[in-house]
Amino acid sequence: MADFETQILESQKQVAAAQAKISEVTGRIEAARAKLDAGEAAIDIENATLDDVNKHTDVMNANIAELIMGLDDVTAGFSKDFDEMRSKTGMESFVGIFSNAKSESMRQERLRTASIDTKLQDLIAKSDVIVRLLQGQLDLLNTQKTRVEVNLGDTLTERETTVSALESVRAEITTMDPKIIELENKISVEQDAAVRTKLETDLAGLNARYNALVQDEQVQLAKSQTLERYIEKGKTWVDSLTNQAATQLVLINKLQTDTKQRVVLYDALTSSLKTAQQQDVAHRINEIGVKTDQEAQAAMAAIGAATNDKMADMLESHEQHMVFARQVLEQKAKADERFARRFAKIVEKHDKNAYGE
Amino acid sequence: MADVKDALTSDHMELYDTLTARRYFAKFDRITAHLLRVAGEVESEGRLTRTEARTLGRYLTALAATFDALSHKYLMTGRAEGSPRLTFDRHDSGFPVAQELMVMALDAAQVDKHLGGMASETELKDRMVRQIVRDLAVPVQLQFALSQRLYYESLAAGGLFWARNDPDAQWIEDKGDRRHYLVHWAVYDAQANLPVVYLMDVEDSGKKPLPNDDRRWPLVQSHLMAQSLGGLKLLTIAQGFDKDFPETHPKRLRRITLGPMHSHDFTLQSGPISQVLADAQAPDGDDWAMVWTVEDLISDREEEVKDGWFSTAERQVFRLDPFNGADTGATKTERMVILPERPYQVLAELNPAGLRDVQKFVVGEGGRIIPA
Repeated sequence: MADFETQILESQKQVAAAQAKISEVTGRIEAARAKLDAGEAAIDIENATLDDVNKHTDVMNANIAELIMGLDDVTAGFSKDFDEMRSKTGMESFVGIFSNAKSESMRQERLRTASIDTKLQDLIAKSDVIVRLLQGQLDLLNTQKTRVEVNLGDTLTERETTVSALESVRAEITTMDPKIIELENKISVEQDAAVRTKLETDLAGLNARYNALVQDEQVQLAKSQTLERYIEKGKTWVDSLTNQAATQLVLINKLQTDTKQRVVLYDALTSSLKTAQQQDVAHRINEIGVKTDQEAQAAMAAIGAATNDKMADMLESHEQHMVFARQVLEQKAKADERFARRFAKIVEKHDKNAYGE
Repeated sequence: MADVKDALTSDHMELYDTLTARRYFAKFDRITAHLLRVAGEVESEGRLTRTEARTLGRYLTALAATFDALSHKYLMTGRAEGSPRLTFDRHDSGFPVAQELMVMALDAAQVDKHLGGMASETELKDRMVRQIVRDLAVPVQLQFALSQRLYYESLAAGGLFWARNDPDAQWIEDKGDRRHYLVHWAVYDAQANLPVVYLMDVEDSGKKPLPNDDRRWPLVQSHLMAQSLGGLKLLTIAQGFDKDFPETHPKRLRRITLGPMHSHDFTLQSGPISQVLADAQAPDGDDWAMVWTVEDLISDREEEVKDGWFSTAERQVFRLDPFNGADTGATKTERMVILPERPYQVLAELNPAGLRDVQKFVVGEGGRIIPA
């Protein structure tokens, strides 16, 4: 499947590109943090960068979803195998013109050697490649998320201290106001020049302190605002990372469930196609050279017994089945719903392509 | 389509919890050890020859190795982030689903790549110690890395029971102009999710010895593997083989199905065994019963039949069980159950009709096997 290979390569490239972008944004957030520590106020994480990353991951996820859908094409190979097991080849049909029995025995012989093991292994391998791709992406997202979260935690504490510093400065400013007014009042009524000069020196000192405090307030306010902006950006980024991680989980979940079920289904189908050979009337008869009517009778009896057994089995397993079917169905429905929600558009597109609507 | 898929996988269960997963593997570790002793017991009763017992023993050892490898793979289930989970079939099997073994084969194919890129065991342990001392934290991720390393190492060591174990032939004796071989192979049945061992006594009248005949042997191998399905009766397999390979004459075909493993805590079972295990209320190590089925098909005589216009072929006529041979497609079917003392006590008291004909082996003190 050259097509699958190229698609895998394409996805790997996109994953690498997306990972580079994600790391870059986290890098920027960390660089901004370092700058904050150095006392610089500039933060160069623009919303545009975040949007760019988000757009890119969307493309990547769409591509991986296509890849998962593409597995359907891989599995189309199976249905060819199953058809071959059911029908006769050209040669067998040709022989059938002369001898129906010979033709049937040729088909049986072919059926006996048919095996889908290699194809199943291939399906598992391919789905494993995609899962690894997704898992790698998920791991990266999670490590990035923890890094940014640790960073954010530190910044939050810093902002708290800044805010409390700002508040204490403000409190001090408020307590200074009445003192200054009181001094000014005293100066305005004071007659003694010496006392007045001393009071004016006090006022000048108080004013200088007041101005310093106001300036400090400005600095703290600016710092607090910068930190707030930083936190906002960081939070947006963590949200985006969490979202992406959820998407990866949904994809992994869907893919693993599908592959698991497919393997079991294909195996069951092969098994039932093969077991069909022993239901053929002629085959049931082990003894060579027994009369035809005896054969038919024995076969009928055997088939009757087999049907009874089957009924009993079914009844027995029904009880078991009922207990778990609901749980499994619920889980499946949840996984399917999550998948559908996220990839409704892709699914729609894919379906349109596939069925030419 | 979706309904069929759901129905087919409805009995598959994932093990989420660390302790549960470890308990599951500990259980199988014990059981596989007992199986080897039971094989010895069956041999001493004369039902298996020395060669057959040794062959079966090899498959049982391989099965134990497979469980060992899987136990490494799933050692950190539920503890480390991203660690895989084991899926097993909890109805009438108790064994891991066949897909686990298929994935294992896939891992084995890439084992060099994985081991090459991993830190060595000493290095990992060194880093663990450093993380414990320096960060005062449990080095979960390193533990996970080490568990995966051990898994890949056990894959590299080999000797495992795979999803398919291709046929091998063992020469037994010469019978006139024919050679008698024991052809043996094993598969992990993907429908029942159980390991199945096949033993076939074949008489070979070809010019070259069968295992050295490049013209026939690869065909024989792929034919037998493609026919090893639990749904096929032994009669079907033997007759198909007899027909497709005129120079080989299957004289006896045995199918040994190892399992299901029943456990009150892990699996769901219908029938009397469920009551037995529930009533036993056995402690962790003793809550199990392992069933082992031997189907046996023996050739009664050989007849010459017309094959085509000018040729004749030797065909086997197999002896079938007179009562239900048409259904079982075998000469006889024997079931054995291996279980610890406590469930056996309950089994003996209840004495359910369905389990009366089953031969019982009881695991006694110190792992001794007592036929009951």
